[in-house]
Amino acid sequence: MKYGEPGKARRRITSLLSMLTFVVMAVTGALAFFLPFSIEIAGLHSLMGFVFVAFIAVHVLNNSRQLKGYLRSRVVGLALAVTVGLGAVFFFQPAPVKVVLGLSQNLGPALDRFEVQEDGMVYHYAPSDDYRMELTVKTGPNSDPEDPPEIAIWLENQGDYHIKTLLGPDGISDDLPYWSFKRRGWEKAKEKAGNEEEIDAVSTPTPNGSFDPADYILPADPDTSTPYKLLIEINENGDAHGEYDDQPSLVYSVEIDNLRPVTFQILDLVGYPKREDEDGREAWSLYFVDEGFGSALKLVDSVLLRVERGL
Amino acid sequence: MSNSEQTDRRQFIQKSILGGMAISSTSEVFAQSEEGAKESDLTQEVDVLVVGGGTAGNIAAIQAGRAGAKTLIIERGAQLGGTTTTGGVAFPGLFDAWGKQIIAGIGWELVKECVELDGGKFPNFAKVPKRHWQNQVFVNQFLYAILAEEKCEQAGVKIAYHEFPQAVQKAGIGWEVVCVGFGTRRRVRCKQIIDCTGGAEVVGMMGLPRLREEETQPGSMLFNLGEANNPGHHQLHRLYVHGADSSNSRTVTLANLTGRRSVLEKVRKEKKRLMHLQPETGFRESFRIVGETMITVNDYTNGRLFRDAVSNAFYPVDLHTKSGVKPKPLKPGTVPTIPLGALVPKGSQNLMVAGRCVSSDRLANSGLRVQASCMGMGQAAGLTASLAAAQSTTPLEVPLGEIHRELAKHGAILPGKS
Repeated sequence: MKYGEPGKARRRITSLLSMLTFVVMAVTGALAFFLPFSIEIAGLHSLMGFVFVAFIAVHVLNNSRQLKGYLRSRVVGLALAVTVGLGAVFFFQPAPVKVVLGLSQNLGPALDRFEVQEDGMVYHYAPSDDYRMELTVKTGPNSDPEDPPEIAIWLENQGDYHIKTLLGPDGISDDLPYWSFKRRGWEKAKEKAGNEEEIDAVSTPTPNGSFDPADYILPADPDTSTPYKLLIEINENGDAHGEYDDQPSLVYSVEIDNLRPVTFQILDLVGYPKREDEDGREAWSLYFVDEGFGSALKLVDSVLLRVERGL
Repeated sequence: MSNSEQTDRRQFIQKSILGGMAISSTSEVFAQSEEGAKESDLTQEVDVLVVGGGTAGNIAAIQAGRAGAKTLIIERGAQLGGTTTTGGVAFPGLFDAWGKQIIAGIGWELVKECVELDGGKFPNFAKVPKRHWQNQVFVNQFLYAILAEEKCEQAGVKIAYHEFPQAVQKAGIGWEVVCVGFGTRRRVRCKQIIDCTGGAEVVGMMGLPRLREEETQPGSMLFNLGEANNPGHHQLHRLYVHGADSSNSRTVTLANLTGRRSVLEKVRKEKKRLMHLQPETGFRESFRIVGETMITVNDYTNGRLFRDAVSNAFYPVDLHTKSGVKPKPLKPGTVPTIPLGALVPKGSQNLMVAGRCVSSDRLANSGLRVQASCMGMGQAAGLTASLAAAQSTTPLEVPLGEIHRELAKHGAILPGKS
């Protein structure tokens, strides 16, 4: 097979690679925006981004003569202004940009961050410039760093309905049945609200009926703020103790009330989930932890919530 | 004979037979004759006089009787149980906290027996309640009142209904209390008084200081509209009676008239049958005593274990206002306690209180005022008063260890021991 002159072949292959990597970037970018956070998609998008940058650099070198011509044209100022303008708008995120970002199912990289540390994990959540939430889960002696316990962090409203998962496994998890039950209920309710045109569950003036976490975390009218809860469910698989072949997961919780702002709060152990049937339907309730529990109680040393407002 | 005449005759015969059956199915009992019933003035000597047969009072009397004290209980109404029975708040709580029972003893014995006899159901105390009231225990108010009477009688407690103290004065090492009811003027000489009137009326009569807010929490009138009352299994409908004040017969009358008038308005508006109406408003707040110890809201919400704690309490801080109520739950693991000092009016001797008038600030009181906590206080007061009477001393002089030992013997759960 002949590729023509070496210079032309290099240009063609660079252009094609740039285009193809761009396609991958575009598709993964859209997926990252619309789907819940996925380390696979995020990894593909960011690493392919580096490759794309390298090809673009070669592409720029290959086409330097034409580019120099563009730079001498009269529209260069306009192009520069548009780029700087868009950069500034997307960086400072005024309200309309936040609305667009709010459509995303995955604001993880924009709003929250999860760090694994030697003695635990820290979850950062900053949905606005003047609000910062930090949840520090300090692991206990029975947490194995090589095989860390499964964990889910989520918010619930006063009616005990799930309103946002901050951190959790993809889909549902048998190891975290309480969170999974709550999340399934939320998904069903959202679906129902979407199907019923008349229902005003999303934008209801009653914050407690809203599916939008912003109505709880950063309500537009602080006077109508209602308390909400932050919960974590944690479970070590196969942690036998006493009569348990596998101790159930444990749920910790704290109430956050913007009308009575507190910077530091410790989450309390609430109980363990147990399946019940309510009129033939699956339901999970929490039960008080009894003497049957042992090592599971030492998976977590403490869970500290820090909320800074009005920064 | 015409057809209509025949029908009339048949109906007459049927009704006569049914009427006869109704008479024949009526059971009959005979009240024992009261000694000296024709006399209006009587004098009685007892060790312990319990004033008020409500939630705390009947437990205090039973405990005092069981501890061997000659006990008389005076109640202004026609039955024991107070808020639980006359008020219709027949879902006492909370006996448990954080998956463990924290209040037992006579109160729990009565509630348990009532539920079991009535075929009722207990909440699952192992389950974390989503709302605190889910662990209240539904009791049949009618059965509860009779069981309370039975337990009083079994403990040797003399019950005096429709009477209330008119005057109290010191007499020797104890008290002389003049109680009046219709056709009765009873002079009671006693060693100890336990004021379980809710608003510390005897304490007020003695001129000892009491606290009261300018605006108190609303009372509740309980009724059932449209559906039959199912006592012990179902909650009644409720309406707030703002300004309800249990201080005296006039304010109680006013609260009842107001509550009933509102119920009548509802009947007319909703066009439903009135199936049940409690005879009296349930009152949440009136006077509180100034005790040797004052339980503050910080003591309460932090679950302070008082050195002289004699019973537990458990309920959210629960202040009802005109705009409703927003209970503030206690932090997990918190179990407030009630010190003996909060049941003794400051500077008093041979006098205790039990129930919602316990020495406490308003917010602490909004959590302390509930039935199970009042039952716990009642048992502690009844026991302490009986020991004080037996030892011819005042309640604060009774050794704490002895109070604890006897309370445990009578089934109570001691603070810090649940």
